[in-house]
Amino acid sequence: MKVKIENLVKRFSDNTAVDNFSCEIESGELIALLGPSGCGKSTMLNMLSGILMPTEGKIYFDDDDVTYLAPEKRGVGLVFQNYALYPHMTVLENICFPLEIQKVPKEERIARAKKMAELVHVETMLDRRPGQLSGGQQQRVAIARALVKTPRLLLLDEPLSNLDARLRIEMREEIRRIQQETGVTTIFVTHDQEEAMSISDHIVLMKKAVLQQYAAPQELYDEPMNSFVADFLGNPPINKTFGVMNRGKIVLDGGCEVAYPKAVDLDDGHRVILSMRAEAIVVEGPSEAMAEGVIEQTYVMGKEVLAFVKLGDFSVRAYIPAELQLTKGQTVKLSLKNKGVFVFDEETGERLK
Amino acid sequence: MTKVAKVHEDGPKRTLKQMIEPYIYLLPFAFGIIVFTLYPIVNVVLMSFKNNYDFMSRSFSGWGLENYIYVLNDSYFHQALANTFKYVFIIIPISMCLSILLANLLNQKIKGSAIFQTAFFLPMVTSTTAVGLTWRFMFNNNSGIINAMLGLFGIEPINWLQIAGNNFYALCIYGIWAILPFTIILLLSGLQNIDPLYYTAAKVDGASSTKIFFKITIPLLAPTIFLVMCINTISTFKVFNDLFPLFSGPGVANNLFTAVYYIYYQFRVTRPPRYGRAAAAAVILFLIIFVMTMIQKWVEKKTKY
Ligand SMILES: Nc1ncnc2c1ncn2[C@@H]1O[C@H](COP(=O)(O)OP(=O)(O)OP(=O)(O)O)[C@@H](O)[C@H]1O
Ligand SMILES: [Mg+2]
Repeated sequence: MKVKIENLVKRFSDNTAVDNFSCEIESGELIALLGPSGCGKSTMLNMLSGILMPTEGKIYFDDDDVTYLAPEKRGVGLVFQNYALYPHMTVLENICFPLEIQKVPKEERIARAKKMAELVHVETMLDRRPGQLSGGQQQRVAIARALVKTPRLLLLDEPLSNLDARLRIEMREEIRRIQQETGVTTIFVTHDQEEAMSISDHIVLMKKAVLQQYAAPQELYDEPMNSFVADFLGNPPINKTFGVMNRGKIVLDGGCEVAYPKAVDLDDGHRVILSMRAEAIVVEGPSEAMAEGVIEQTYVMGKEVLAFVKLGDFSVRAYIPAELQLTKGQTVKLSLKNKGVFVFDEETGERLK
Repeated sequence: MTKVAKVHEDGPKRTLKQMIEPYIYLLPFAFGIIVFTLYPIVNVVLMSFKNNYDFMSRSFSGWGLENYIYVLNDSYFHQALANTFKYVFIIIPISMCLSILLANLLNQKIKGSAIFQTAFFLPMVTSTTAVGLTWRFMFNNNSGIINAMLGLFGIEPINWLQIAGNNFYALCIYGIWAILPFTIILLLSGLQNIDPLYYTAAKVDGASSTKIFFKITIPLLAPTIFLVMCINTISTFKVFNDLFPLFSGPGVANNLFTAVYYIYYQFRVTRPPRYGRAAAAAVILFLIIFVMTMIQKWVEKKTKY
């Protein structure tokens, strides 16, 4: 099912949790709703599920306007952050519950629940209560309960944040598998960029109630629309430096000149942010040097060496080939690749180059 | 495995002082318990086996079951037990259902719920004896507000206080009123411990509020319900106080003997006082309450998740 959100606004008495949000989600996709804590992700999800009513704007499921429709009429399956499995019911009863409400005959609902349990691999623990399950198993049951009524849209609010690191990786792949097997349009909330990058078809990146960018993970990484997006994605975090344009060169605070060709036509005196991914910085490479820096610190990491290079006031991470044998205090020539280097306006954060 | 156990055994040896210290801290409390709780209980049990025991001179004619035989064959005691059981089995379910409903209403975020809360909890902070006297006026045949209200529905006035058959119902009405606030407070705190997420989850699935009430709220509240039922059963088994403000005693023509009133009767009312019989009745009542509590615990365990 396609989801279309138009100019959605949610205001609580004193603050705006979601501001003028528009986007279109294609049928059958897995969408990550990504953003720092408090940016309005849960609010967004709750408006999609119908738990919260928007202040302004419209939500369409396919062509139906569902903006003010009651939750139960929307056909959405919801998985809560702490799963909210009913502690007094067994796994089977939990999965059956949505069907029981829909008055599905007992035999059919048990059959359907068992099929769901198989899909999420909890078929061996149908008689247990949630208290007797591990976090990952509870998570699976919660997904089964959300899916059993064959929803048009599956919503998951931080489904992985209660799990330990290894289980998290396992479960996110499980979510991907289950989503692909069922083909249900799915939106999941996360504040972990790696999680979002690794399994989603598209990422909705939010900051302080405002949609920053809606794109495929790779595009978000390669072509961030503003400096927030660039900062938010990537591990290690992007190198962020500030400077001012001077005769076609970026002069970083502290006096380091960077001759980044793509930035030559920016006006003199324009304050900019130069953000560089570590892998986009070439140290002592064959191509023409664009800047000079001093090696501050090096860490050998197998075949590569992670170096902190001083550029003006800033210390940037770069990878250098181990065979170069560079040491602390040495001055090196740097060049920048086209990909992974961005120039933003310092004031607005908008992408310039 | 054995090695691990050994490490524990070999752990730092406690000195004599360390071993005694905790008991010293316990001493004041233990002293209170022994003198004011344990000693009287043991004494009552002993007293119940002493024939013709005289409290003042501490004399008795011999050990035996005479008191029990008398009490178990006394028609007043039969009546007392029948009344008490009837009272408990009427009060507990009615007060429970009412309390669950009212606690649920109070748990909704509706305007003026603070006023209702105060109104419901008022009986708890007022002296039951004083309020009991007020109830006596309210039950009055001619001028009481209860009969006046019944009159609005075309019901003939009921002589609550002066006709033996009605006394029991007056006692029940008063008893339910008196037990509600405590019950509601406990249930309300139980309700507030239920994560509202369960309700949201059920609502998204389209559950009606009745369905949510019976399938989610009640089962999740069950542990609290059991606890309150246990406490209330014990306290209602001991019904006694309420007799005085309402009827100045065990009702018209002694029709309202209760188990505890029977104990009081043997102890204070009969001449000469029959301390042994009072003690025997007390032990029997204790056993009944004990068994009831055990049954409830057992049921609770069976239904626990
Ligand atoms: N019921 C409410 N009343 C008032 N403000 C609210 C309410 N719910 C959320 N907010 C505010 O709206 C903003 C967005 O909240 P939301 O729960 O959507 O954040 P989130 O992105 O899900 O954060 P997290 O990652 O921490 O869960 C926050 O500033 C929050 O304080
Ligand atoms: Mg949230």
